[in-house]
Amino acid sequence: MNYLYEKDLRQMKYTILTSTRHDETVHAIARRLGTGDAKLRMVLIRRFDMSLLENLESRWQMGQEHADNGDPVAEGIGYELFTRFIPLVDPEVMQTIYNKMQAMIQEGSAIDEALARGKALVREAVLS
Amino acid sequence: MKKTVDVSIPLGPMHPCWKEPVRLKCETAGERVLRAEVELGYMKKGIERIMRGRPWQEVMFLAERVCGICSVIHNMVFIETMETISDIAVPPRAAYLRVIANELDRVASHILANFSYCYTIEHETLAMYLLNTREIVLDNLERLTGSRINTAYMIPGGVRFDLLPEDATAMLADLAKVEAEMRRHTRIFETGPLIALRSKGVGVMSREEAIRAHTVGPTARASGVEDCDLRLRHPTYRELGFTQVTRTEGDNFARIMVRFQEIFQSIDLIRKCIDRLPDGPIRGGGLCKAGETSYAGEAPRGELTYSIKTDEYGRVLDIAIRTPSVMNIEACAHSMITDATSIADVTSTFISSDPCIACNER
Repeated sequence: MNYLYEKDLRQMKYTILTSTRHDETVHAIARRLGTGDAKLRMVLIRRFDMSLLENLESRWQMGQEHADNGDPVAEGIGYELFTRFIPLVDPEVMQTIYNKMQAMIQEGSAIDEALARGKALVREAVLS
Repeated sequence: MKKTVDVSIPLGPMHPCWKEPVRLKCETAGERVLRAEVELGYMKKGIERIMRGRPWQEVMFLAERVCGICSVIHNMVFIETMETISDIAVPPRAAYLRVIANELDRVASHILANFSYCYTIEHETLAMYLLNTREIVLDNLERLTGSRINTAYMIPGGVRFDLLPEDATAMLADLAKVEAEMRRHTRIFETGPLIALRSKGVGVMSREEAIRAHTVGPTARASGVEDCDLRLRHPTYRELGFTQVTRTEGDNFARIMVRFQEIFQSIDLIRKCIDRLPDGPIRGGGLCKAGETSYAGEAPRGELTYSIKTDEYGRVLDIAIRTPSVMNIEACAHSMITDATSIADVTSTFISSDPCIACNER
């Protein structure tokens, strides 16, 4: 049901994301995920509310500082970064991706190969 | 048996407890809040866009209009950013006077935040007591700067007005009165059984959640985040021996108590400043130059960052302002309110984080 007071927030969300600092942050996240800025902006506008979009820069900074310290596999796919700091991927989905990567490494695949596969799966989960 | 349905409850944009328009959309299962979303856009000023291309003399006045409650710190951080870019030194007397103005502003802001909370939990008596005390603080801000709200007190290389000895004596007398009244108000808040029912264990945010959302100011300090007060790194505050107030409960009660504790700390800092006020000029002079930097100061609500790029005439080419409410409102909606056991706690929890929508929307 559409209420009278429900507004279309897409334009305002887009304005938040294209301000100087947010634009830099979106670019950095898109580069990390290996996707385009516009595609990522579309996902962010669809999934996040306005306060989370405003706080994107700070969360990204804290994620860079505190997320996934010590585990190279988790760090490679942004396990905590994309579930807790920038919640773009569902934690259960991320755990499945992580388990797949661990299984690949145990079966003898090179870490780089497993990471490339893991990153592709994370990108897929973000853009789905 | 009572039927429980999932309901979306919108709070605001016009709500008796909100001071500014904002809409909180709460998804609930019975009384339990499953998730909350914040809708902004009801008072967007576009102040960063207005600032671009203007000389610093104009931007200085615009900066303090970002927020009416903590206007002094917006003035201070903007001016200190310009001083950092232009390598301008501040005379010691002016640096101490800046701290006095800033701490008076902090006391006024914290009292207003605690007033709002008491009003929200329907303790109107304490709320009115607090507002009454705030008047004395604003009178002293006027005594020092000539204005109660938008003071424009700080300029590159100093401050605009000196503190006369008779004004300093009157200020100390008023501060003693404020301190005595605030001790009474704090005792009422701390020992009130009904206040405890509405505040203790409500809207809890863990230290990890606070760090994840980059929560700042009293909201972060109430959740046990150490070393998050930027006054610890400010040269004048370091001279004054500033230490951070921290609590670990992370609930509404802790957030309000941190503000009460910081009020006493601010009063002590002002006393120290008046006691140790160095002689000398209040303006050192200097010329604003071309450059680019980010500079942060501790506002009443937390870390306030100005990122400024200027040209050789001191014109602001680009500016980005990150206010503390950007982080605190987000953390409030996604950590404190989510999983609240009663919809009645949403308003009080939201107000306990001292949200400033004017800051958030800029």
